[in-house]
Amino acid sequence: MSKDLKIALVDDDKLNLEVLHDFLIRSGYHHIEKYYNGEDFLKSLHLHDNRAVVLDYQLSESGGMNGLEVLDKIKHSSPNTHVIFYSGQDSLNIAVESLKSGADDYIVKSVASVVLLKTAMDKIYQIQVLKSKEKRSQILSWTFVVLWIVTILTFTVFS
Amino acid sequence: MEIIDRLSAGDPEKRRYYISLFLEVLEPELKRLQADEILVGANQEPLLQILHKLKSQVQTIGEHEAHQSMNALELKISSGGCVEADELDPIIEQLTVLIGNLQHQLQ
Repeated sequence: MSKDLKIALVDDDKLNLEVLHDFLIRSGYHHIEKYYNGEDFLKSLHLHDNRAVVLDYQLSESGGMNGLEVLDKIKHSSPNTHVIFYSGQDSLNIAVESLKSGADDYIVKSVASVVLLKTAMDKIYQIQVLKSKEKRSQILSWTFVVLWIVTILTFTVFS
Repeated sequence: MEIIDRLSAGDPEKRRYYISLFLEVLEPELKRLQADEILVGANQEPLLQILHKLKSQVQTIGEHEAHQSMNALELKISSGGCVEADELDPIIEQLTVLIGNLQHQLQ
């Protein structure tokens, strides 16, 4: 089943980027963009909202910007974007700081971590599906209210 | 290499591609590790960066022993310690053997 969730992968480690890309494709996610540095990714921020971003913490080719700084810029200009840190930094302090700054999850790169990443993506996808259902339901409710008011007004005017 | 096999899902071309990406990073970084100046002076930041980069790569392809050795040295430098040449030698040896094996698989 194809899952309609836009995903951006940001990592200067090309092997990791390719492995994650292929794994997520096999897991049903087909709208995936790859960015080898934080700067290119940040340039694309205004083009997309409401997508999931998998972000490395140590982005050595991003002009010295670390993942937390990139996260800050994402949350500032695209608050509906979900961010998951996927990092080799096995540090509790960095993980806590990331979550406090608005990241949805912090996953340390390990043998089993691609599976954890898929679980995190599935959770975000479910949230998107629920939000979309809620929005449709709200639109339907408002349409019903407007139709009801128009009917009452029509009845009042012509009676 | 179990992870590479699993991730490439039986696709030999994909497997070769992953291995070539890995070698693309590993070979120049190994040369930097072998350079004598990497351990000169109190500033071990360049060594820390190489170890962090390679740690992530060997983790991805499932070389757990090399990953653990690099992780230990990375932690040592991060906590203010200084890595000596004899601590680095086993890692260089592991990586040299690994490169040989992978190059052989690519032929």
